[in-house]
Amino acid sequence: MRKERERLLQIIHLCSTIDKRGVDPFEVDVKQKLEALRKYLPDWESFGDLCLDAEALNKLSRVIELQGSWLKFRSSLLYVDPFLIEFKVKNLEVKTLFEIFVKAWKPIVEIEQLSPQRVMEAVDYWNKLPPIRQRLRRMPFPPGLRPGSLTLGDMLRQGFLSEHEFTEVLQTFWQELTQKAACQERIPYWSFIYAESYEETVARAYLTSFLITYGYATLEVEPLSEEKYLRPNKEIKPLPMTGRVVSVPISIEYRSWREAWEAKHLE
Amino acid sequence: MSEEAVLYTRKMKRAAQLLFFQRHRKPGVKGWELRRSLGKNYNKVVELLNEELDKLDLKVKTVFDEEDAPEKPSEEQLERARFVLTLKNPVTASDALLSGWRIDDVAALAVTVAYIISKQGKVPQRELERLLEVKFPSWMVEYNIERFIRRGYLSRDEAGILYLDWRARAEVDQKLLLNLLMGEETRSPMEPKPE
Repeated sequence: MRKERERLLQIIHLCSTIDKRGVDPFEVDVKQKLEALRKYLPDWESFGDLCLDAEALNKLSRVIELQGSWLKFRSSLLYVDPFLIEFKVKNLEVKTLFEIFVKAWKPIVEIEQLSPQRVMEAVDYWNKLPPIRQRLRRMPFPPGLRPGSLTLGDMLRQGFLSEHEFTEVLQTFWQELTQKAACQERIPYWSFIYAESYEETVARAYLTSFLITYGYATLEVEPLSEEKYLRPNKEIKPLPMTGRVVSVPISIEYRSWREAWEAKHLE
Repeated sequence: MSEEAVLYTRKMKRAAQLLFFQRHRKPGVKGWELRRSLGKNYNKVVELLNEELDKLDLKVKTVFDEEDAPEKPSEEQLERARFVLTLKNPVTASDALLSGWRIDDVAALAVTVAYIISKQGKVPQRELERLLEVKFPSWMVEYNIERFIRRGYLSRDEAGILYLDWRARAEVDQKLLLNLLMGEETRSPMEPKPE
């Protein structure tokens, strides 16, 4: 039964990819997939299996719908093979592309202008508006309520975070870094923070910043290539209070993560 | 002038005000706004206004929420649609440049719109970026895609798929763009440039 379940999951995944990526829906042999579903149906016993079967059927019906609109689009006047368009735009000069677009472009017309009536209203408002100092005196800021930012210490004090738990998480994370970097002594920053989801990658980058700040690890930046590496410290080395301490902002862009993900999965 | 003619003239002026002056972040007005301001026969008023605008080479265009404009739109579809003023004929190349668009930006927009149309109205952002990066530096590609999204030419969903948005539907004659593009002769990369 495990094999059949996997087959259903494959069908669901295939149909979802077709829907999301806009790939040719005729790539899916719907008839063959439906026959497979029919073959497996009598064997399903649990509620979960039946739900899976229903989902696969639902996804297949979506593919049929996509096949319908694909045919409709192909027979419409707007259909041009994307490869042909790609070929054309790659070989046409920028100026020619500009001239073509301008011929098919009829921009929206809009006016941004003040009417005399609005100007009069604005003058009237200005004349009646008391000076800002006078207004602020009427509404003084209550002391201590100015906007500020919470530090980790504040969050720990207010009970949003538990120091014990956080230290424990950091310790575990430190061990993981030590194990991963064991052979080479240091590990590329991205390969350490990379996780299967973008959210998890960001969370790992966040924890890594604490590892560095609290002295569990050192961040090394190659001066020429600007490649970043993490070197785990054997014992905690607090940051020096004197001397030069540099903050290194690292952007965790979704695209970089996606590229890493694609590279990993293509392997 | 009959009472009815006076009424329609007054309504037409009101419609012109609504359509010309930017009231929201997006240009134009929704059908339901026109109905509220001009009454049930707002379509008739728009038709009359169109006749007047024709002399100025302008027209009122109805942009529907749906990707394909319905042939016979229902009342509901019209109320949800956006009514915008556009030029009736295309701008000249020099006017386009004077309006703050660089040649590179317009060419990138041309490729973007044409490629998305050919991909049935949706394309993953990365795929489009790869195509644009053949001709433009990656920073410019990124900047332009964000700009096209801000201006309403494109929209992007959570999965990073790009779609044509309301402004592309309002301003670009999609069929003409494809025809012109396909009709343009391309040179082979090995061929020398014409003198």
